[in-house]
This record gives sequence, C-alpha cells and structure tokens, in this order.
Amino acid sequence: MTTKKAVSMNDSTATNDAPDWGALLARVAENDDKAAFRAIYQHFAPRIKAYAINQGFSQHAEVLVQEVMTSVWRNAGKYSESLASVSTWIFTITRNQRIDILRKLNRTRAEVVIETEELWQIPTEDTTICSIQNLSTEKFVKTAIDKLPEEQMIALRKVYYEGKTHEEVAEELNIPLGTVKGRLRLSLQKLRVMFEDKEI
Amino acid sequence: MSGYHPDDMTLMNYAAGSCTIPESLAVAMHLCFCHDCRQHVKNLNHLGGALLETIKPASTDDDAFESLMASLEPHAQSEIAQVKMEPTPSEKITQHFTNPLLRYLPTSLADLPWQRQTKEISKYDLTSLINVKGFQVALQKINAGAKVPKHTHKGFEYTVILSGGFSDELGVYHEGDFIARDASHKHSPTALQNEDCICLTVLNAPLKFTGWYRVLNPFMAWS
Repeated sequence: MTTKKAVSMNDSTATNDAPDWGALLARVAENDDKAAFRAIYQHFAPRIKAYAINQGFSQHAEVLVQEVMTSVWRNAGKYSESLASVSTWIFTITRNQRIDILRKLNRTRAEVVIETEELWQIPTEDTTICSIQNLSTEKFVKTAIDKLPEEQMIALRKVYYEGKTHEEVAEELNIPLGTVKGRLRLSLQKLRVMFEDKEI
Repeated sequence: MSGYHPDDMTLMNYAAGSCTIPESLAVAMHLCFCHDCRQHVKNLNHLGGALLETIKPASTDDDAFESLMASLEPHAQSEIAQVKMEPTPSEKITQHFTNPLLRYLPTSLADLPWQRQTKEISKYDLTSLINVKGFQVALQKINAGAKVPKHTHKGFEYTVILSGGFSDELGVYHEGDFIARDASHKHSPTALQNEDCICLTVLNAPLKFTGWYRVLNPFMAWS
C-alpha cells in the first residue's frame, strides 16, 4: 500500500511540492522499501554526482554516489528531523564520505588515524522544537541565499561545491585574492545577521 | 561558554569540508565547548544542504541504482528497535558533540603519559594520529602559573583550551577558547595560577623561540 505512494513521488521535480523525504527514509529503515529508496536516489544521486564532479572526482564520481547512497540506506533509521533536514543530512554525509575517500587514497599503510566521523560530527541539540526549527531553517536558507548578490553566491558555491581554496577561486575568476575573501566574508556576515534575526 | 571562537571563514571552511584534518580537529574540539559555534556550523550545514538542492544535477549511470540495490542488506529488525528507543536523559546531554579524541586517548587527560619538555611543560604527541604532512598536533600541559618561553610561529598555530587557562600579551583565555596565531604574533603564554592548563595545539610549521631561548629551537618543540 505504501509502494503506490512512493511511485507517484518519483516525478517530483517541482520544487514547491517536495516529497516528505523524512517519511521516505523512515520507510526505508522500517520496511526496506525499495520504491521509497528509489525516490530518494533519483532526486539526490544526480546532485551528489554533480558535487563529486565539481570536486574533481571525475572517474570516481560514481564511487562517491554509491558510498553516500549506501550510507543513506544503512543509516536511514538514525535520521531524525531533530538533526537536520534530509538535504542537509545528505550534504553532511556526502561531505564526510568525500573526505574519507580522499584520506583513504592518500593513506600509504594501515595505521590508526582519527576517523572522519569524529572530526565532522553532525551537531545535535536535543529539543523537539529543533525539528520544527530545522525545517523552517531549510526554507529560510533557501530564501536567504536568493538575497545574496550573484558574485557572492559564485564564491560560496566554489568553496562548498568545488572544494576550491580562496586562492584557486581568485585565479579562476581572475580577481584579486582580497576580493574573494571580501565577498566570502560579506556573504557570511549577511547570512549570520539573517540567522540571528530569525532566532530572536 | 567560551569567549574566543574560530572566525566565520574558519567555520565555513570546516562546514564545507575544505579545511585540513588538523584544522578540523581544532574546530571540532572547540565545538564540544561552544553552543554558539555549534549552532552556526549547523546553519552552515543547512547552507550546504540548500546548495545541494540548487546544484545542476549530473546524469547517473542507468543501471547504477539496480546494482546498488543488489549490494545492500536489509535492515535488521533489532537495529530498528534500538533506534526507536528514546535516549536516556544523560545520553541526551552528552550527545551534542563528543570529544573527537576520546576514543584515541588511553586514559583521562590527567593520567596521560605526559612527555616532559621542561620542568613545567609537558606534551602528549598526536602527530601520528592525525598524520598529515607538515602538521604537528599535540596536547600540551603547562603547570599552574608557569610561563612558556617567548616564541613566534612560522606558519599558524591553533590552540584550544581543554582545561584551566592561560594569558598572553593579547588576552586571557579559558576552557573552550579557540586561539589562532600566525607569523605576525610573538607571544609567551602563562598558565593561570590556580590550575594546570591543558590545551590542544595544531601547528603547521615548527615554532621559533626568540631571545635567549632561541638555543632551544633545535631541541624543543612546543608542539
């Protein structure tokens, strides 16, 4: 009975009417629901792949997708709206897996090193108010980034999505390093102000 | 609540996953102490999530989903039952952010096999645990009231205070504080009088002692 609902969710490219990803994850965890997982995969896998390509993974891009989606499947039961929205949760998994893959590629011998998951934990706050807060924060962030000037967004995107250092961003956009830092700083200040206004 | 924090740029690089492993350790350690920075990182993670939504999707291989499905194992029922269990109140409190080093230290901070550097300063080296070329990472213990010889940094140094506190020419720092120093700073930290100061230090180049203490340079690494 739940399968039917998930199939109808597959054609969800409309942004206004996003599916309830949290409910789909719960079905994955509770019923090994393939249709629910497919819906999540169809939406997120192409985005994770784009992220991987932007980060320079090229031929390994599909490896990152598989690693992240495997982790989503395995940890579906651990997802909670009080942690983050699903896209934020998947972003953090993707970021951590990317770091993990790079670290493993660079490792020359078996050794005890600190785990990526210890360094990049998903911070949690334990109130139920959080879940409401998180969902509204996600919407809020989307509106907030729409308000940022294009040049600041480009710089942010390059840092977040292409893993570029500030120097590389400057070189690529052919602008001075100080300008890149200035744009990033301005965008962060604006976001911080917007966040703080919202919390009060 | 600590008074000195990583700047916005450092937090952003952390949330984006574009900082180095040793830097991430210093930030993560600070997050254990600081509610405000945890909240800000959470917001920056949301920013990552929002950017993921707006990214231009790439096409994935046609058979990728089916081959992935074939490799996945069903969720064990016991696992679900465990997840459903409400955390106990004490778990809830400690859950916010765990000390990233906890699993890797043989004992509590006080009982660590500290390596003596001088009569009043000792260290517990973590460089091999972090294992990133060019970085020295360690826990430092300065006895209450003791002074570290004046030094400058070739690269940069991050310090996070885990217990006690110290002061230098620029301020007084307490538990949880995150202090960033670069080559332009010359300082000589002094531990506060009442208790030993233990901190995490992340260094991307060896320290240089100045003045009389420069004779120490080849022998003593503050990290």
